[in-house]
Amino acid sequence: MTLISRGARGSGPQPADTKTSEQRRERPLRPKRRDNVTAYVMLAPVVILLGIFVIWPLLYSMFVSLYDWSFYQESVFVGFRNFRVVLTDPQFVESVLRGLRFALIVVPSVMVIAFLFASLVKHMGKRAATLLKVSVYIPTVISGVITSLIFVLIYQYSGGIANWLVGFFGIEAQAWIGDVKLALPAIAVPAIWLGLGITSLIMLAGLLDIPESYYEAARLEGANWGKQTIYITIPLMKNIFLYLLITGFVGAVQQFELPLIMTNGGPLDSTLLPNLYIFNHFRYDIYVGYSIAAALLLFVVLGSISAGIFKTLNSEKAVDG
Amino acid sequence: MAVLTAPVVAGAPATARRRNRRSSPLATALRFLAGLIFVLAALFPLGWMAIAGFKSKTEVVRTPFQFFPEVWRWENYGQILEDPTFVRTLGVTFGGAMLFAALSLTINAMAAYVFARLEFDFKRTLWTIVITTMFIPGMSILLTSFIVVTRLQMLDTLAVLVLPGAASAAHVFFVRQFYLAIPMALEEAALIDGASRWGIFRHIFVPMSKPVFVVVGMTSFLAFWNSYVWPIMTITSPGLFQVQQYLATFRSERGSELGLLMAGSTLAALPVIILFLIFQRYIIGGIKISGLR
Repeated sequence: MTLISRGARGSGPQPADTKTSEQRRERPLRPKRRDNVTAYVMLAPVVILLGIFVIWPLLYSMFVSLYDWSFYQESVFVGFRNFRVVLTDPQFVESVLRGLRFALIVVPSVMVIAFLFASLVKHMGKRAATLLKVSVYIPTVISGVITSLIFVLIYQYSGGIANWLVGFFGIEAQAWIGDVKLALPAIAVPAIWLGLGITSLIMLAGLLDIPESYYEAARLEGANWGKQTIYITIPLMKNIFLYLLITGFVGAVQQFELPLIMTNGGPLDSTLLPNLYIFNHFRYDIYVGYSIAAALLLFVVLGSISAGIFKTLNSEKAVDG
Repeated sequence: MAVLTAPVVAGAPATARRRNRRSSPLATALRFLAGLIFVLAALFPLGWMAIAGFKSKTEVVRTPFQFFPEVWRWENYGQILEDPTFVRTLGVTFGGAMLFAALSLTINAMAAYVFARLEFDFKRTLWTIVITTMFIPGMSILLTSFIVVTRLQMLDTLAVLVLPGAASAAHVFFVRQFYLAIPMALEEAALIDGASRWGIFRHIFVPMSKPVFVVVGMTSFLAFWNSYVWPIMTITSPGLFQVQQYLATFRSERGSELGLLMAGSTLAALPVIILFLIFQRYIIGGIKISGLR
């Protein structure tokens, strides 16, 4: 190991069989020990903090999920009972399905809008492009709380902008977040608004990465924008789509600040997303094992779905540029 | 977000786009219109929030809907700024966010440097452990994190806000990617001159890190400023109230004073918008795909 690292570092022109004096001069360059001490000292803060605030809680979650644990009583080992209870709890299963529905509204919308945005910006002059990029990114820095407060007012039944807007199209006023059918799409809108900025800019970066010569060649062949998109852009951006799809999906299913503040899961649980369900359960139920088992299960569900999307998309091997 | 994006070291080459030579005036007009729609959609809710701050209590949601107030009132902004709790909340959150950003920048950059450049025992093991923490969803540790900080008697202190999130595998990864792109030759000369590893980090790497530090620092600042769930779980004393916590509490306690609430929200959103506008060049330029194609 020492030798390899020395070689890799290419530490000077000295041959291996130099004299003692030379070796002494070289010593500060190679000793592994010194690097060890420096490395551990400089790594210590991150490793210790991750250990206390991430790894310990994770191991603790795994432990607590097997117990009937509460703040006030001695815990009792119950094996996998918590998991069984969670999995047979229709409320939890429904909340997971609801989370999937929510993600199915949010993620495709964000992807399509972001793709249109990126295609537009690509053909803009530099100044207009900067203006557009900065504007579309601004919502990204706004908190979930402020976004919720704004959109609750937008959705007000009387005097809200949403009803004023649909009024132009002759649609009668809706209760939006107070309506069992509309509440989930209604809270998806601020989620889309919040998520658009980063997705758009990543997509734009990917779009600009494709050599312009491909498009020039296609244009010479008479391919229009639609054909260029289908045969050049989409295949070449496959990995970016995949990355955005997975991160967007995992993010959307885990969303819970918006429903927490806008609706607290209502009306009639129609916006009770899985993490909100777990969080509320934790707040109101002194037996923590159940909530934690649910959280761990969600972790598994999300992991397998991400892997699923990844596999499906990856199996259709596109031509790579 | 930070996972697969890496900052550009110098001079973004992305501007090599070419205008479509065949674009007609109609196409240009359509493009302009589409651009306008995007800008409006992104900024409208925020503009509306700021304007609602100028409205009276009943004017914010009155029928028929009206975008602008009849009379522009500054009272809401004045009144919320006279509320000592709100002002202290802004100050405490700002101070906490700065401290948090500084701390997380320091420790994550040190770790990034070590993983990028140093050889030491158990490097692979430690790297695997650190990177694995990036994939743990927040909710699966949120509840037990609360139990852990309760056990450590950290509830209701500044430490509970600053320490738990400071170490971030995503940030370590992001900064490391940047450091891997820095040529080895720079530090070799310094090593031969007998510089210590710490000295090289401090005097060669840190001064070169501005673009990546801006992105990571801003991300940390935002995470702290915008956090809501963790403060409501861990902070109860008004002296440490966080700004998002204040807004949500205000809404549930004085929900009818909508103009005031919107004025407060505007003032709470302003610092992060201004910070973003100052550093937008780095943040937007920093989004560059690496290894995704």
